[in-house]
Amino acid sequence: MRPILAGLDTEYGFSVEGRGAEDQIDDAKALVRSYPGECLPSWDERSENPRNDLRGFRLGSLSRDPEDAKFDEGRSHGPASEVRSDRVLLNGARFYNDHGHPEYATPETWSLSEIAAHDRAGDLAVLRAAAAYGETCRGDVRVYKNNTDFHGASYGTHESYLVPRSIPIDNLVNGLMPMLVARQVLCGAGKVGSEQGARCDYQISQRADFFSEPINAETLFRRPVFNTRDEPHADPAKWIRLHVICGESNLVSTATKLKVALAKVAIHLVETGNQPMWRLADPVRAFKAVSRDPDGEGRIDLEGRSWTTARQVIESYVVPFLACSSGDTGPYATEMREHLGTAIALLEARFSDPERFARSVDWAAKRAVLSQYVDSERVPWSDPSLQSLDLEYHRIDKGEGLFQVLLELGAVDPDPTEDDVLDRAINVREATRARARSIAVTRFRDQLATASWGTLTFNTRLGEKCVQLPPEKTYPVTLERCATVEDFIMELERT
Amino acid sequence: MTIYAERTTRRMDPEPERKLGDDAGPSKPDVKRPGGPNELLKRMKRVDPDQAKKYRQRSGQ
Repeated sequence: MRPILAGLDTEYGFSVEGRGAEDQIDDAKALVRSYPGECLPSWDERSENPRNDLRGFRLGSLSRDPEDAKFDEGRSHGPASEVRSDRVLLNGARFYNDHGHPEYATPETWSLSEIAAHDRAGDLAVLRAAAAYGETCRGDVRVYKNNTDFHGASYGTHESYLVPRSIPIDNLVNGLMPMLVARQVLCGAGKVGSEQGARCDYQISQRADFFSEPINAETLFRRPVFNTRDEPHADPAKWIRLHVICGESNLVSTATKLKVALAKVAIHLVETGNQPMWRLADPVRAFKAVSRDPDGEGRIDLEGRSWTTARQVIESYVVPFLACSSGDTGPYATEMREHLGTAIALLEARFSDPERFARSVDWAAKRAVLSQYVDSERVPWSDPSLQSLDLEYHRIDKGEGLFQVLLELGAVDPDPTEDDVLDRAINVREATRARARSIAVTRFRDQLATASWGTLTFNTRLGEKCVQLPPEKTYPVTLERCATVEDFIMELERT
Repeated sequence: MTIYAERTTRRMDPEPERKLGDDAGPSKPDVKRPGGPNELLKRMKRVDPDQAKKYRQRSGQ
């Protein structure tokens, strides 16, 4: 089985005492620049173009939320690269200001437990930067790992998966779409209320209200369930980066791992031609319908007037994968099977053992906690305090956010250990290309001019040298032993 | 902090009037509460009930 390289990027919400959304770009820029750890303050943007579409065309421009444009009337924030304030951290992660949100993009990983640990290392990086910025601006800075402000603004938690370009885009769309719609029952972050359409008290997904089209390359406005941005960060002849934007910011690590595992299982089945053949009548409507059915199975209408449920869709991917992969005893397949087994068990537990379900699934954990408040205070779910508590669930400061309290009480599945998170904040433990980036930033930062997902550019005695980092290669730990940057470059080119 | 008017691009259906204690919200899930209910409740009662009203973000991706 080809291990699928993956990464998560999270745009964090934050508030600064006495400041508002009109100041958010300046604040996010200053927050990122306050990051107190060692880093490379550069990012090579040359290979990035968010307007290319996987369907073979290029957008003239990307849509922007008209409400956000009002914030910037008559204001300039400076050159784009200054505003982004890119940092490459010691673990090879990218930390920057994306549209007014501190964004942490994890190093690339193969393993599910590694991606969960690096996701937590991202929380740590943002918290450290926020604490440093709070000292500078002498105000309370709070960080929220969520996807909505409850007033119609959403920000994303995206996934990236390395997929061969040889797979036809239609196969990917048809093979992935049902899973993207269905997996929210295990990976939704939960939301009090709604920001579009009919009012509801509580829904499974934070993002469902914001999808308006089944497929397109937009991300800021007119968001799709299936994003077709074509920005491979690798050899474009060989690879695409499947950019999944309909996932959510999970706080329970189990949910983070399941989110990635369920997308990967769909990709594996598409790659081998074994994907289930669901034909959704309307993916956008189905996404919203599942989100708004926290007490039901989540009905998904199919073409031809038939219908199915989120559970049946997920099982239709997982069961054949478990059967097909049983002979593969490698660590990647073994870990995938373990977590997909958990997915099946949770689908069973959703109605038969809701306590078990709420230990692993964010939307259910948050709902259970908030229900306690509703009962105790005798307030309706429409009371404004409920959205405030929803927000507080996602506050990531240790000892502050409601999820942090649940963790301390042992009421949800445990996080990666603190030692692992601290280690991943500065190291890469897999032989992915992120290891090379991490070593370059850690050991050869003085000679490292800039970096990107696919390249490292050094200043050497012989001039500027750009080294490619093909994602399909493995990068051995022995790279750490290189004494000079020239040795390092030579070893990279030999791997 | 400047509070902007509600976004006009996203229309909400009118919210039905509700009374305290009426049949509001999703049915109570049959979930045993997470451990330490008093601690959680105390923590929840310390949250500014209007913090979500004040929380405004720009759209991200």
